[in-house]
Amino acid sequence: MALPPTRDQVLRAVASNEEQIALLRELGEQVDLQVDFWRDPTKPGRPADLRVPFSRLQAVKVFLESHGISYSVMIEDVQHLLDEEKRTMMLSRRMERSANKFNFASYHTLEEIYDWMDTLVADHPNLVSKIQIGESYEKRPLYVLKFSTGGSNRPAVWLDTGIHSREWVTQATGVWTANKLAEDYGHDPTVTSLLDTMDIFFEIVTNPDGFAFTHSSNRLWRKTRSINAGSSCIGVDPNRNWDAGFGDAGSSSNPCSETYHGPYAHSESEVKSIVDFIQSHGNVKGLVSIHSYSQMLMFPYGYKRTPAPDHEELNELAKKAVNDLAAVYGTEYTYGSIADTIYLAAGTTVDWAYENGVKYSYTFELRDTGRYGFLLPSSQIIPTATETWPALLDILVHIQQHPY
Amino acid sequence: MPGFRAALPAALLLLLLSSFPPAAAEQPPWPWTPGAMHALNPSDRHASRAAWTALHYSNYHEASPSTLRALRQVLKATVKIIPGLGVKYYLQFTTEGYINGENAGSCLATVLYLKKSPPEVYIKCAHTQDKKQIQEEDNKFYHYLHHQTKPIIANNIPDSHGNIDRAHLPLWGLAIAGSSYIMLEKSTENLGYFMAQVKAVKQRIRKDSAVEFEFIVLLHETPTQKIELCHMHLIWTLSPPLRVKYICTSDNHWLEDGSGQDYGSAAGLFHEKEGNF
Repeated sequence: MALPPTRDQVLRAVASNEEQIALLRELGEQVDLQVDFWRDPTKPGRPADLRVPFSRLQAVKVFLESHGISYSVMIEDVQHLLDEEKRTMMLSRRMERSANKFNFASYHTLEEIYDWMDTLVADHPNLVSKIQIGESYEKRPLYVLKFSTGGSNRPAVWLDTGIHSREWVTQATGVWTANKLAEDYGHDPTVTSLLDTMDIFFEIVTNPDGFAFTHSSNRLWRKTRSINAGSSCIGVDPNRNWDAGFGDAGSSSNPCSETYHGPYAHSESEVKSIVDFIQSHGNVKGLVSIHSYSQMLMFPYGYKRTPAPDHEELNELAKKAVNDLAAVYGTEYTYGSIADTIYLAAGTTVDWAYENGVKYSYTFELRDTGRYGFLLPSSQIIPTATETWPALLDILVHIQQHPY
Repeated sequence: MPGFRAALPAALLLLLLSSFPPAAAEQPPWPWTPGAMHALNPSDRHASRAAWTALHYSNYHEASPSTLRALRQVLKATVKIIPGLGVKYYLQFTTEGYINGENAGSCLATVLYLKKSPPEVYIKCAHTQDKKQIQEEDNKFYHYLHHQTKPIIANNIPDSHGNIDRAHLPLWGLAIAGSSYIMLEKSTENLGYFMAQVKAVKQRIRKDSAVEFEFIVLLHETPTQKIELCHMHLIWTLSPPLRVKYICTSDNHWLEDGSGQDYGSAAGLFHEKEGNF
């Protein structure tokens, strides 16, 4: 985008050694250069972002180049960015006429998210469609957004958010991410290449009954809302209800428990619908199930401590994804198998997927690590989604490049 | 419980952490039974659980809302089984301010999980804040709470959207400090806690210099994922100790039948009684 040469820029500099870190810091201290760090230089390999006034651009770039410090222009025009941000922040929660004007920085109700899904489809008719894979216990539709540029039953990746209804940052991240996929197709080479070769199926509100309940009655509700025969306690943990180590340690047989696995595997329609969908599709090559909180990226197994046959590859990919996530805002994630990283958990989504032909099965636990927990401030929605995006892309690109 | 400002210098602790198995010559001052000791992957859930246990201890004992810390990252962890006694974790971790989220320096800690009593903790943290500044902030909190003419009553801190009114920040801080006592007592090697929400809070105006509150707090228990509801009574006199009494219900029928929203106004829930502690 060519602009009149009157604007400040933000440069991203990456120091390759401690000496360069020191030089960058020195740069910040030279008052006459008016360099303002948006992200401070910390250690080699980590980006430092500097806002440079237009009048000093030449001098700063010469400084960086002469010391061999690699940099790129991150933001061509800071003023434009600030104006844009102000515009976006002034948008309220009215019925929006286009999907990308939705208030992504706010938490929404089920109705609002379902309405927004329709506008996304309307805005990107050649890319996005909405399919219904089943009904929840209370008869709400289970909607999945299909991202496809054609072909016939292309290799696909399944994404889901909100399987545990109280994890609100996940549904919100789902909305932002679905929008990002649609917006970037045709503009970003990576996303374009991905969607030209693979399909994505994205279920944003995987547990709509639970989600509705978190709005109407109990913000900290986790499970489905199915009635348990012979008990006054309601609901099954949809992430213990899958047929992989079903009923083993790491799930409960007590209906009143938050990790109640249910009367039998796939008893919950919310789970069965996904099982049926993935099995009948027959060509799902990756699955990412998104939760919060804890800041972790994990892969099978959860129901046993034995490393999965693909442990090394899954671990290496997780390491890369987590590093790319941290590069955005410095948010630290841990990673590893579910059993090693968080705890033994039986009957999980990713274990089932892995044992049913989906090699690249991952689960995220998004922000934070306990300060706000499930009640993550809405101001953190976009930063969370933004930093998760490169990690997600890493996984999608790896799947694309490693067909099986 | 070992004194908060215990004798063991942080440097010795660091030495223990940086050389495993530890050199036989290094003997800490407390009774030491040789047992199997091994390094933990810092990502290990047991390590972060132990680090949080140490922080619950610190957050309670400091009795200072502006010094509350949250875990950022475990840097190093080792664990040792002490036959007949329990399991001891040795930790080095970074922290952030619980209320402001800013870097709050690193800590060294040991956490001894015992069989029949609450964990024993030793913790020493780097000071990143000016002592005077901490005192000023706590004084501000204290005076705001102490100078209320009508008892403060509030619900849902943070609210469903994670937002907290500026006026409620001191309440949140106090609730965390008090809940840390509860969470410390309940923490085990296998059970961890976070304070999920202040469901209700009501102040009791006192004639003396203390500040007194009744809280209903929701604790998130891992890995069970249970939400524990606790009724907590707290008295703060600016300096430690924070006086906490509590009772929790493990019966999550409370939250089952849609009555989750309806804890009633704090006023209705807390019946009047003589406030002698």
